[in-house]
Amino acid sequence: MDKKIKISVKDLNLYFGSFQALKHITMDIPEHEVTALIGPSGCGKSTFVKTLNRMNDLVDGVKITGEVNYNGINLLDRNTDVVALRKEIGMVFQKPNPFPKSIYDNIAYGPRVHGIHDKKRLDEIVERSLKHAALWDEVSDRLHESALRLSGGQQQRLCIARLLAVGPDVLLMDEPCSALDPIATAKIEDLIWELKQEYTIIIVTHNMQQAARVSQSTAFFLLGEMIEFSPTVDLFERPKDSRTEDYVTGKFG
Amino acid sequence: MVRIKYVKKLEDLQENVIKMGNSAMRSIDDITKALKTNDSTLAKKVITNDDEIDKLDKLIESQCMSLLALEQPMAGDLRVIATSLKMITDLERIGDNAQDIAEEMLVMDRPIRVAVSEEMFDEMLRNVRSMVADSIKTYAQGDVEKARTFKSRDDDIDSLYKQLVNDFLNTVADGSCPPESVRDIASIIFIIRYLERIADHAVNIGCRVIYMVEGERRYLR
Repeated sequence: MDKKIKISVKDLNLYFGSFQALKHITMDIPEHEVTALIGPSGCGKSTFVKTLNRMNDLVDGVKITGEVNYNGINLLDRNTDVVALRKEIGMVFQKPNPFPKSIYDNIAYGPRVHGIHDKKRLDEIVERSLKHAALWDEVSDRLHESALRLSGGQQQRLCIARLLAVGPDVLLMDEPCSALDPIATAKIEDLIWELKQEYTIIIVTHNMQQAARVSQSTAFFLLGEMIEFSPTVDLFERPKDSRTEDYVTGKFG
Repeated sequence: MVRIKYVKKLEDLQENVIKMGNSAMRSIDDITKALKTNDSTLAKKVITNDDEIDKLDKLIESQCMSLLALEQPMAGDLRVIATSLKMITDLERIGDNAQDIAEEMLVMDRPIRVAVSEEMFDEMLRNVRSMVADSIKTYAQGDVEKARTFKSRDDDIDSLYKQLVNDFLNTVADGSCPPESVRDIASIIFIIRYLERIADHAVNIGCRVIYMVEGERRYLR
């Protein structure tokens, strides 16, 4: 059965000045799946992910060609409303970055920016988002405490809840567990598994075992190119490209 | 090269699998010779040799589990380990079947005077021996082309098996077998059955080698 595609990337090239960081990337990201991006440091996977919500626009001297088609439009078009885009395609980063506000205000911030001020509605959004991020039970009795008092794993789940509060469609996660201990990591991975039923998730990870655990499809990046993109089980059991084989077996370099 | 220790562990694993294969091969060679020469001492050696095969089976399983738990192997390495883990079961059964043949031999009164082709029996012994030897070589060399020949070779062995069993049973049915040899006829039929099973195990090894090298699961039987 053919999969429904959420984001279709065609011949994407990205330059930072004269340096070409992404080379002719073409891939279709399936809907309601977790797609993992693996590869050595500096291979372009984070750069690729940041292209999907136009975060690279913030870098001086960046030039991007090609297409990133989402819901029938090319996101790279200069007329794209990037604020609205980043509501639809949200991002979680390696280091949890809660605002120096209460737990409640962290979650309510995004909806308020988008014009929601009714307290009852905000309360519902906060509760729903925290439940969705598997954090509600741990913080429901202290919503007005500072988010900075939470543990690292809780802060990362708070960041995910903050993202969910604005009703995204796609979640981008750039090494979301790198700064977390194994138990916190396991909780995030369980959460990712639950969230994929409603969202499309793209995760950058250095941890191949994590990619193997959480994703349905995996793309291997190397020196700005996407070398191979396969169902995860195939990529890790019988990769087609010898460079992929060398990387996943750890014999790289 | 990185992961030198891990690469060495993989090499040690494969060497042990080949060692186990060679030990199973020795049992096959010894039982083949024992059957042809009616050598009960050699038959007893096959029985005791099975301990070595069983020890290697346990060692290799332990090596595989250690690699899986501690090294997180992927891709080709993972397939080598998975193949080794499956293959030692077949090698262990080959050893057991050789032992079973030896035990049947030891309870027989030889020679048996019935009009059944000794040449056909010798041909079956040769073919089975050759398949086991080749199955170990395919693992050692990653020779998928040789592995792909196992199905047709096994079909030939199956034909010989059916013909021989039929011929031996006919000697009982038509009365040409002396009554005192009927028990031995049963033993010979068991022996032929064990030989046919040994060939089946060699085919299994061939399937696993194709998976190990190419990543595709093929069922040759």
